[in-house]
Amino acid sequence: MATATFDSPVTTREPTSIPWYVWCAALAVTSVTIGAHWDVSWHRSIGRDTFWTSAHMAIYLCGVLAGISCGYLIMRSTFAPTAEMAASSVRVFGFRGPLGAFIAAWGGIAMLTSAPFDNWWHNAYGLDVKIISPPHTLLMLGIFGVEIGALLLILAHLNRETAPSPSLQWLLMYIFGLMLVLTMFFRMEYTWDVMLHRAGAYISIALGVPLYYAAMWKASRHRWSCTLMCAFYTVAIIGFILILPLFPASPKLGPVFQPVTQFIPPKFPILLIVPAIALDLLWRRYGESNKLLVSLVSGPLFVLTLVAAEWPFASFLMTNAAKNRFFGAGYLDYGTPSFSFDATRHFVDPQHGLALWTGLGEAMLFAAISVWLGLLLGDWMRKVQR
Amino acid sequence: MMRTRISFLLCAILCLASPSWAHVGSPDVYAEGNAGPYKLSVVIRPPLVIPGVAEVDVRVLTPGVSAINIAPLALVGEASKHPPTADAMKIATSDPNYFTGQLWIMAPGSWQIRFTVDGDQGHGVWSVPLPAAAMGTRQMQRGMGVFLAILGVILVIGMTGIVGAAARDAQLAPGESAPPKRRRSAAIAMSVAFALLVAGVILGNWWWKTEAADYSSQVYKPLAMDATLTSGNRLDLKLKGPTWLFRSRFDDFIPDHNHLMHLYMIRWPQMDVVFHLHPDLIASGEFQLALPSVPAGDYHLYADVVHASGFPETMVSTIDLGAISGRALAGDDAEGQGVPVSNASADATNFTLSDGYSMVWNKPPALVARQPIDFSFVLLDRAGRPAPDTQLYMGMLGHAAFVKDDGTVFAHIHPSGTVAMAALMMAESQNNPTSKQPSASTPMEMPGMVMSSDHLPSSVSFPFGFPTPGRYRIFVQMKHGTTIETGIFDATVS
Repeated sequence: MATATFDSPVTTREPTSIPWYVWCAALAVTSVTIGAHWDVSWHRSIGRDTFWTSAHMAIYLCGVLAGISCGYLIMRSTFAPTAEMAASSVRVFGFRGPLGAFIAAWGGIAMLTSAPFDNWWHNAYGLDVKIISPPHTLLMLGIFGVEIGALLLILAHLNRETAPSPSLQWLLMYIFGLMLVLTMFFRMEYTWDVMLHRAGAYISIALGVPLYYAAMWKASRHRWSCTLMCAFYTVAIIGFILILPLFPASPKLGPVFQPVTQFIPPKFPILLIVPAIALDLLWRRYGESNKLLVSLVSGPLFVLTLVAAEWPFASFLMTNAAKNRFFGAGYLDYGTPSFSFDATRHFVDPQHGLALWTGLGEAMLFAAISVWLGLLLGDWMRKVQR
Repeated sequence: MMRTRISFLLCAILCLASPSWAHVGSPDVYAEGNAGPYKLSVVIRPPLVIPGVAEVDVRVLTPGVSAINIAPLALVGEASKHPPTADAMKIATSDPNYFTGQLWIMAPGSWQIRFTVDGDQGHGVWSVPLPAAAMGTRQMQRGMGVFLAILGVILVIGMTGIVGAAARDAQLAPGESAPPKRRRSAAIAMSVAFALLVAGVILGNWWWKTEAADYSSQVYKPLAMDATLTSGNRLDLKLKGPTWLFRSRFDDFIPDHNHLMHLYMIRWPQMDVVFHLHPDLIASGEFQLALPSVPAGDYHLYADVVHASGFPETMVSTIDLGAISGRALAGDDAEGQGVPVSNASADATNFTLSDGYSMVWNKPPALVARQPIDFSFVLLDRAGRPAPDTQLYMGMLGHAAFVKDDGTVFAHIHPSGTVAMAALMMAESQNNPTSKQPSASTPMEMPGMVMSSDHLPSSVSFPFGFPTPGRYRIFVQMKHGTTIETGIFDATVS
């Protein structure tokens, strides 16, 4: 039984301007996306850093922005709420506020907790040279919390509107695009261009990335949502490739195998936009059908279109023609030995035949499961109003 | 039986002693040398963990130095040709001849620190080898642990509450309150979320322990060595590989001041008998030598070798020997005898040798752990004058071994410092591009080695610092005529 406990000035409504805290959350996600790539570039170009590098500050600014803005929003909603705030809040241990604010604040606290943890980790076990470690995982969970919080803040507004506001839809797709950038960032070790002729790269992408597509498509109500989300991802990475090398940098750590004179950018983005177009077209017609069937078709479609595009493109990236400012295949970090696969532009143990197709079969299965979970999540997100 | 027990205890003590590649329990590098016209005294304190930060201190012994830059680079291989951007050392505000700096050491292995010096006499370059390996891991401080635990509890409870709110309130239209069905769903969701979070924490803890164990497996472990006495009073030393980061190699040793292995045999626990011997390699990973006459006792064995990469190692073992009537000492082999360490005075600075010569230690007034000290010794003839017939001993004016009475420290030092001479040669050859690369089989001039025996001084000094407080015995070896002398001194370090 639902009973109204508030006067309800806010039900569904016409599109309105985007609130300040949504902008803050979007800025937080933007900041961490830039900071994370800047930091990796820093380690590949200069090597040595401190806690106080600008790249680290950009990462932790995400936690600070999310923590302060959403913390303020929760305090305001709890102790001095407007009627709209009171009506569109959830309750967590006596505090009130939008669900997204709680999740983003949680993410901010997790990010800030990871900082001393990571610092201690370096002192205890040495500076970690791999991305996946316990303190980094806590940091990633925190970032993920801020991203999800930002999404839900936008979605709550979007879902309360009588007609979807284009500006909120675009902001939602922008945030999803940056989430895609970050989720691919964490797969970097498996999707390096010299790994792209092995099934492992596609399995790592199939594990989770199609979930973003499906959730995005369901939640945004935009017919080209997957394509636009992937366009944001592609433009962001190409932007890093074009911008980072403009700044000088030189190694401050040995061993130095490559003479580096400027910041080293990331590898060219994976062609995720190809399966995005395919899935947008498929879901436009069949997206609201039985979720299981949609997933079973979408998973293989995702993997096959991705492999069809990426496999020959990866071959191109191994050529001298890709060693330019745009494709960036010639950028090598200072620690890359001249005999390495990356330096000699050769694929690492390329797979063929049964081994490849067995792996791709696994990838299709994982992609189908990811799509199914994404559709469920998207349905849930579409109903969030607070 | 008693000897077996003692040997077991000695082995246990040796195993407990922290390894530190060349030397035992003494990881800091002390070195003296010339960067062009400038003489430098350097202390490098390697990091506990790799990658980590090495602390570098330089005392300039030649006035007029205005700047020192330091860069870490590999000692051998392709990476030795591409130094990273050098860092400027800071000049101490209170002492213009004292410089400090820090360097990141990113990987275990054989490194060198290159010092580039500028001053009123122009430019100079000098490199000091730095064997780098993780030596341990740190425990979390209690305060930090409590702080992180509190934040962890907040995160777990906070997320549980958020999940409850998501299930109960998030999809309600504005102004509605949650019906009982949603409240029940929220309770279930919170219970499941809490269980998953606790499982996540347990899984995270397991992961943390796995990572810690992985790091621990990368902590340096020296080659192991089994010592046995075979027929003909031959000492047989078999090397065994530990499960360390690098695959242990037994076939890549290079000569270090003329010998593949320098073996110190010290009678334990009184340290009253010492031998400095040079076993021969008879097979991959196996050294042998015919023992000279040896008094009965339990002996600690410290064997120094240098790999082709310039990475030095000290292997330790023990052996229980009866009295041996063996060959006469020959070549560079040497022995020394003194009073038991328990009866010796730590204040004595004069050691009378069996042939009437004596050795005098110019002892500093205070000996403090981790402080760089110039250990200076003079060889006097029977009349108490500086020995007129001083000779080079393996190309140097002297050798010294610093041994702590609990067996946790052993360091074999040269006038150029604690670094292996073979590694120093490799580094030196890179400072001067026109010089030939060192060869394992070709003797060449070593830094710190004196190649001419004309007018040799009768004194020698060793840059070193005691790693920890305690009681130490110092064995100093110098040569005059054809006699290799071994002076024995004691020190109490605060």
